[in-house]
Amino acid sequence: MKELSMHILDIAQNSVHADSKLVEIEICENIEKNIFEIRIKDDGKGMDEETLKKVTDPFYTSRTTRKVGLGIPMLKSAAENCDGYFSMKSEVGKGTELTATFRYDHIDRAPLGNIVDTVVTVVISDINIDFIYRHNVDDRCFELDTREIKEVLGDVPLNNIDVICWIKDHVKEGLEKIKQ
Amino acid sequence: MIINEIIEELKLNQLSGEKNSMKTVDGVYICDLLSWVMANGSKGDIWITVQTHLNIIAVASLLEMPMIIVPESIEVEEETLAKADEENIIVCTSELDSFTLACKLNEMGM
Repeated sequence: MKELSMHILDIAQNSVHADSKLVEIEICENIEKNIFEIRIKDDGKGMDEETLKKVTDPFYTSRTTRKVGLGIPMLKSAAENCDGYFSMKSEVGKGTELTATFRYDHIDRAPLGNIVDTVVTVVISDINIDFIYRHNVDDRCFELDTREIKEVLGDVPLNNIDVICWIKDHVKEGLEKIKQ
Repeated sequence: MIINEIIEELKLNQLSGEKNSMKTVDGVYICDLLSWVMANGSKGDIWITVQTHLNIIAVASLLEMPMIIVPESIEVEEETLAKADEENIIVCTSELDSFTLACKLNEMGM
């Protein structure tokens, strides 16, 4: 994928479809240590060890349902092509955690791309699920927690058009601040 | 165009799939970004790519592309070739680069 945000969108959909209640998306841009890391964690149904071994095999994923797709194998090879690594932990009934690390300045590392639209798309994809989006640039951090937003909103749904626009602007401004 | 004719004409080094294949191909697609190929490649294409990861066989089989050419004599992993045999996808290498391969295929009438 041309942009890492596309990988994030794809992988986050797996969490959404895994009966999760809370999905955490964390991006760490550590320019000093030359690391770009993506971590996606959910508290969904998880996988047993046997399944976990198979999900990085494109033939397990693309040949059964299309639910997992080539998404995981492609993110894994993207990370490995950039002197990085990929790891996945999972436990049945507890959830799954995936980490993809890239060398920040590797020539083949795709740019992050449009993360603002990606985050908005993910958080409104299922308003019954809560999302935390945490983005670190060196020691600066932006965090969006839909539980806090829902508390303020009361009966207004998260996918109300005005709320969506507010989330979008809020993420955009937050990211501009930490990127300075 | 018949695959076997292409292999002979371009002096390709065939690493997997049936020998003397009489299967035909209709076009050529050149791209190294797998997701892009998934979205834009077509059934029956020859696919030219520098990628050699197992994932290329998954993409080729998904799109029903019968043949992959890896340019510039890049080495292809055993795991990839074993899967290519299973899926009957013809993987070949060439010492030529992608552009030259494309020109030669064009000269042949592709």
